[in-house]
Amino acid sequence: MAKSLSARNIVKHYGGVVALSDGNLDVCTGEVVALIGANGSGKSTMSKVINGVVVLDGGQLLLDDKPANFTSPQVAKNLGIATVFQELSLIPQMTVAENIWLTREPLTAIGTVNRKAIKENTEQLLSLFQGTYKTELRPDDRVGSLPPDEKQLIEILKAISFNPWVVILDEATASLDSRQVQRLFELIGDWKKADKAVVFISHRMEEIFRIADKYSVLRNGKTVGAGDMKDINDKELVKLMIEKESVFSFSRAKMKEEKIAKAVCLEVKDLQTESLHGVSFNVHEGELIGIGGLRGQGQRDLLLSLFGDIPYSGEISIFGSPKKLRHPREAMKQGLALIPGDRAREGLLYIRSILENLQLPSWAQYGFPLRIGKAEKDAEKAGESLNLKMAGLAEPVSSLSGGNAQKVVLGKWLMRKPRLLLLDDPTKGVDVGTKAEFYALLTQLCVEGKTILFYSSDDEELVGLCDRVLVLYDGLIRIELSGASLTKENLIAASLGAANEDAI
Amino acid sequence: MKRRLSWDYLMIRYPAFFPFILMILSVAINLFLQPNMLERETLNSNMRVFLPLILVTVGQAIVLIGGGIDISVGGVVSIVNTILATRVGLEGSPEQMWQFVLISLLAGMLAGSVNGFFIAYLRLQPIITTYATSFLYFGLALFILPNPGGGIYADIANLYRTSTPLGLPLAFFVIGGLLLIWAYISSTRYGKYLFAVGGKANAAYETAVPVTRVQFSIYVISGFMAALAGIAITMLSGSGNAEIGGQMTLNSITAAVIGGNAFSGGIGGVAGPIMGAMTLGLIQNIISFAHINTWWETLVKALIIVLALAVPGIIALIRRRRA
Repeated sequence: MAKSLSARNIVKHYGGVVALSDGNLDVCTGEVVALIGANGSGKSTMSKVINGVVVLDGGQLLLDDKPANFTSPQVAKNLGIATVFQELSLIPQMTVAENIWLTREPLTAIGTVNRKAIKENTEQLLSLFQGTYKTELRPDDRVGSLPPDEKQLIEILKAISFNPWVVILDEATASLDSRQVQRLFELIGDWKKADKAVVFISHRMEEIFRIADKYSVLRNGKTVGAGDMKDINDKELVKLMIEKESVFSFSRAKMKEEKIAKAVCLEVKDLQTESLHGVSFNVHEGELIGIGGLRGQGQRDLLLSLFGDIPYSGEISIFGSPKKLRHPREAMKQGLALIPGDRAREGLLYIRSILENLQLPSWAQYGFPLRIGKAEKDAEKAGESLNLKMAGLAEPVSSLSGGNAQKVVLGKWLMRKPRLLLLDDPTKGVDVGTKAEFYALLTQLCVEGKTILFYSSDDEELVGLCDRVLVLYDGLIRIELSGASLTKENLIAASLGAANEDAI
Repeated sequence: MKRRLSWDYLMIRYPAFFPFILMILSVAINLFLQPNMLERETLNSNMRVFLPLILVTVGQAIVLIGGGIDISVGGVVSIVNTILATRVGLEGSPEQMWQFVLISLLAGMLAGSVNGFFIAYLRLQPIITTYATSFLYFGLALFILPNPGGGIYADIANLYRTSTPLGLPLAFFVIGGLLLIWAYISSTRYGKYLFAVGGKANAAYETAVPVTRVQFSIYVISGFMAALAGIAITMLSGSGNAEIGGQMTLNSITAAVIGGNAFSGGIGGVAGPIMGAMTLGLIQNIISFAHINTWWETLVKALIIVLALAVPGIIALIRRRRA
């Protein structure tokens, strides 16, 4: 029996941010549809709309061409729509079996969960991925103690355990190794034959071409193209994902040759952490180096390990002398500053005043008892140079807009006069005007001789602003783009791991 | 997977392991100081004092597993105590007593429903909400019985104080019953929901667990258990006092945490917290038998409790250092 699920002209806002403005998707039994798009193009939102986790603001869902309304995940589930969530829906304290069968536990006559039955059923499901587990996986293992790839497999098994007719795989392959991906694809092949459908969301071009029958491309919340995979190649797909005319008006500072001539201020050799598998690069004084790639390819680990925030192995030399950084304090002493991306959680104390936030890393300079007057004067000056729009230094940071709050995060580190700045996606959720100010400021800082390592999920920024961009893929530097090769096409292609090196 | 009998494995798999050791230790010390402790009369007089806290702790333990906290349990104990002491009275008949026992249980569940409504449906912070309602409940208790007094008929009270079926304290049977009921509940679907909601509420919601209803239910259970404790403590003391539940809130939380239930939710059980509550009682006993100067009593007791709370953390720290 052929079934179909369609989404038409879907609109979804999160507060003032438009996640989807015109999203469309069609899935029929027996096919795999790849949902493709750059960072923040609305893929995850789309999947959450068709599985009922978020309520849509506009548009229509059609199930077998009849209007449908998914008010909760339960409703979608009952209609046979299963989701493998990107940020896993597993409960770490519970066992594998309990997690898979949660809400659908087989019961005994006296109303207790039939442990034997769920154990047997779980073993059956686990056998689907037999031979790809790194450890001996048992139904009564706690999910919290499993490695990420096995958690992901459990999430997949949980989704298919109630025999849905459509499975949404949201980045399900991101944490799997090649054997596990291979096995998953074999299973998808079986599901297709059994008249099931799959919505496949992935950033890996190679996988999309291997498994998908159809594609649907999202760009800035709009569906900009859909069709059969056999009618398209990877270059054309990449082109669809990129905006035709760029709104980016900033041009790179043209002093690259001079910069290369300057001394190396940061040397990284074979840096390894949990998600970095050996990264080496050099940074010259005054350079603005971009770190690109899809989210979660190790960029955050790179910045955090340089700041001494997480344990790492490998060598880091700062201004020519090798350093082992064990604590952010040590990194700060070397003149490093990390501007975190998550303002609310890592960057600011929201309910405290602007003054306190700006001075938090610098109080030590003001003696004991603190020379508040001097601190205020310095903070005032920093605020002015950043063009911070505020009612006064005593106001809480929570009174500021997102862009101005981010300026405080930047300002608090600039007050320490760092030599090397590490930026972790600083323009996320910042308005366009402030972004432009940011770009000008960053370029200015480089002219002044500061060095900047700049991770951004916004590809345009990287291309428009940076001297060089290191593209991370799967914990490795896939390619270094600079000069003529630093284009959006190349950046996206490299991010996706697409094989069009000829263009570079 | 490494499947050796590691400390972590024991702690996660058997959350009652540590409180068990602690309780055995306390019993041993207590026995040393009070050799007749295991005789029927002494045992019963100890257990009947421990039982009210054990009952409150069981409710608190379930709330903690579900990812909440209930600061208002002491207030509920006081309300029940004042209701019984004023409505049944020293001359009260058994019929009257059982009638008001029923009313007390309903009152406890009502108080729990108020907490549950605020927390589950209005999505308020559990700690703030129950802290606020605790004043409401203590206030109500004071309104019912402004000055200590009243009481229940002595024969009824003695039913609680002196019953030793099969030669064992009544409390043993109550604890056994609680453990059986918990063994059943925790293996039903509701039990799984409880752990799921406490473990990671978002993930539970995405899996279509009725998160709100489960959150509501834990406070009703806690209110019910607090009411049971109120009944027990009234039969123990035979009189009424609006302040009687004051100490029990924090003691129940301490007992549950010693018993292996984490504030973060989703972990633990009921057996551990029961042993935790008994350990707190035993520590009190030890201190009074060790003839410690009254002035030092609170300090020594607090030190022992802090140590008991810190031991799992200290062990984890040592293990981290070694790794």
